Amino acid sequence: MTDRPSILVPIRVLEGESIPEGVPGLLANAHVILLGYHVIPEQTAPGQAQMQFEDRAIERLDEYETILEEAGATVERRLVFTHDGQKTIDRTTTEHDCLAALVPNATGPVEDVLVAVRGAVGIDRLARVVAGLFGETDVSVTLYHVADDEETDEDVETLLDGLVGRLRDSGMDAARIETRVDRDRGALDAIVEAAEEFDTVVMGESDPSLATFVFGLPADQVADRFLGPVLVVQREPPQQTDEPTS
Amino acid sequence: MTEQPGDVDPAGENVAGEVPVAEPEAVTDDTTVHDDDVELERTIGLVGGLAIGIGTMIGAGIFVFPGLAASNAGLAATLSFAIGGLIALLVALPTSELATAMPRSGGGYYFISRGMGTAYGAIVGLGLWLGLMFASAFYLVGLGHYASAVFSELGVALPFSPVIGIGLLFGAALTALSIGGTENTAKIQNVVVGILLVVLTGFLSYGVLDAVGVFGGGTVPEQFFSRGYFPVLTTAALVFTSYLGFAQVATVAGEIKQPGRNLPLAMVGSVLIVTVFYVVTIFVATSAFGADRLGQFGETAMVEVARDFLGLPGAVAILGAGLLATFSSANASILSASRAVYALSRDALLPRKASEVNLRYGTPHVALLSAGGPILVLVATGQVELLAEVASFLHLIMYGLMCVALIVFRRRDPEWYTPSYRVPGYPVVPAVGALASFGLIAFMQPASIGIGVVVMLVSYLWYRYYAGDVTLKGDI
Repeated sequence: MTDRPSILVPIRVLEGESIPEGVPGLLANAHVILLGYHVIPEQTAPGQAQMQFEDRAIERLDEYETILEEAGATVERRLVFTHDGQKTIDRTTTEHDCLAALVPNATGPVEDVLVAVRGAVGIDRLARVVAGLFGETDVSVTLYHVADDEETDEDVETLLDGLVGRLRDSGMDAARIETRVDRDRGALDAIVEAAEEFDTVVMGESDPSLATFVFGLPADQVADRFLGPVLVVQREPPQQTDEPTS
Repeated sequence: MTEQPGDVDPAGENVAGEVPVAEPEAVTDDTTVHDDDVELERTIGLVGGLAIGIGTMIGAGIFVFPGLAASNAGLAATLSFAIGGLIALLVALPTSELATAMPRSGGGYYFISRGMGTAYGAIVGLGLWLGLMFASAFYLVGLGHYASAVFSELGVALPFSPVIGIGLLFGAALTALSIGGTENTAKIQNVVVGILLVVLTGFLSYGVLDAVGVFGGGTVPEQFFSRGYFPVLTTAALVFTSYLGFAQVATVAGEIKQPGRNLPLAMVGSVLIVTVFYVVTIFVATSAFGADRLGQFGETAMVEVARDFLGLPGAVAILGAGLLATFSSANASILSASRAVYALSRDALLPRKASEVNLRYGTPHVALLSAGGPILVLVATGQVELLAEVASFLHLIMYGLMCVALIVFRRRDPEWYTPSYRVPGYPVVPAVGALASFGLIAFMQPASIGIGVVVMLVSYLWYRYYAGDVTLKGDI
């Protein structure tokens, strides 16, 4: 059995977000970091919200923990009161060294998964997530790459074959792995369109750039447009953990 | 990241049967950790901390006081501001040490209740809450003066003085705004402070060059101590309200990232920055007009100074800056007052209901209302100097006791007391800080001292009645 990949599942626990249908099945082989968080406005001290809402939040988290554990996952959990939800998610990801974060949307029983492969960077973590979650299931996996002009067919082949090999090495049945390549298209639209036929999308987190600053991370955009759950594989954590001062 | 065991758990219960909330297990750079993996995220950085400090302080010192201070002390008012700054610094250093050892919401109240016991804590905590109300009311009256100056600048003649009415209006608006849960208040504060510093730097650079004669103005005609020596100290007591902001940083200590580094930098840094601004401002202002004429201009003297240097555009710029500055000071104080209520009710010194969070907006509406309501009553008095002095009095008591608390902690040396910043020159600095804080009170008007003493007495009686059994001393 492969190592359980650690997956962050952030839930706005007091605002009605819950574990959607199908997600416990999807995460059956995962080590889930269940992050219940509550965002409060700046005029409220986080402790004030804690005093009032802690019991209710813990009750809900208990419930979700049970659901996930019954499906087979191992669960670790945090409850955080914060002014800044993104900071909380980022910090928890780093502290627990999560391989991926889940954007929770409902899904049926998971039968096929689209894995968007961007390039060689981060492919190790991508492989660990896919192999860990789906290695011992009968889920069929489609590796999907949108090539750009400068990539030759050979480059693409090397990339995808390399990943197939890695998945096979970790015990996946090669018959369940397909590959698919598209060219000359915007990667984002292509992924969203291709995803429609699948139950779940696994994709990498791209590097922050000006475009992501303006439009949000591509993974978020896909998650907004795709109705099912999206697993966003996190970047390798930086070596030094010194936070920039702000 | 270290676990910090307390030496005594808070205990006892109040009249309503509520007990103090248990203390957290650990405090890290990013969070306050409670049991069961419950965490409170720290989200205010160094810039945010500085903005709270500077934003609170700069409104009063620069925009409301120059006229009043100059008419009291002449050019030597610069010295009054310098004395105030020095005392603030002497207190900010010990406060930094306490805050890095106990980065929890509540600031001075928290340190004193844990160091010296519940009775002192209650007096300071309730005093801090009321002190912030007096300070907010003072800022709002200042805001009223600036807003009325806008009307007269526009040539709108009003048959009555709109100062108090505008103060009340803004007070109510600010309270409503905080309850309604405006987004990004901290970001707005940062931007406002940035704009203020740019406007003031430009204005003061021009003013200094003018005052020393580069543009031929060169009017420093006066003798430095034109009113004698004693008024320098009474003026220092009056304008000390300008320096209350660094304590506001300590009231949000529980939300500051990397508290060991950012708390001392934000508190000491904001005191140093605004002291420089104040001293230069008073120098420029008195050089432009002389103390007598400046005194006649009253609360909006700075507008006339700017008009003298730069004509109408200068006056408009300073009017705008004055509105922003007094607004942000009042806003920051109302928010701090609600943090103080939270800290008190967490420790069962006020009903738990007082810090209840509104489900719809997520804001502490009871705490905000209980700050906003009394502020309006105080604004209605319109007594600028009295409001400022009472606010100073209540804060000076707290500052003095914080210095004493530091000495108490160092002598008791509990296991958990491991501040990452240690005050230089112990025990001289905190001792001098305590003496200076208490000493400055002696130079206040008897009326202010009287009101302050009554507030303290009522606070003590409330504690005896409501929470006489609660023990807070000792824990972190």
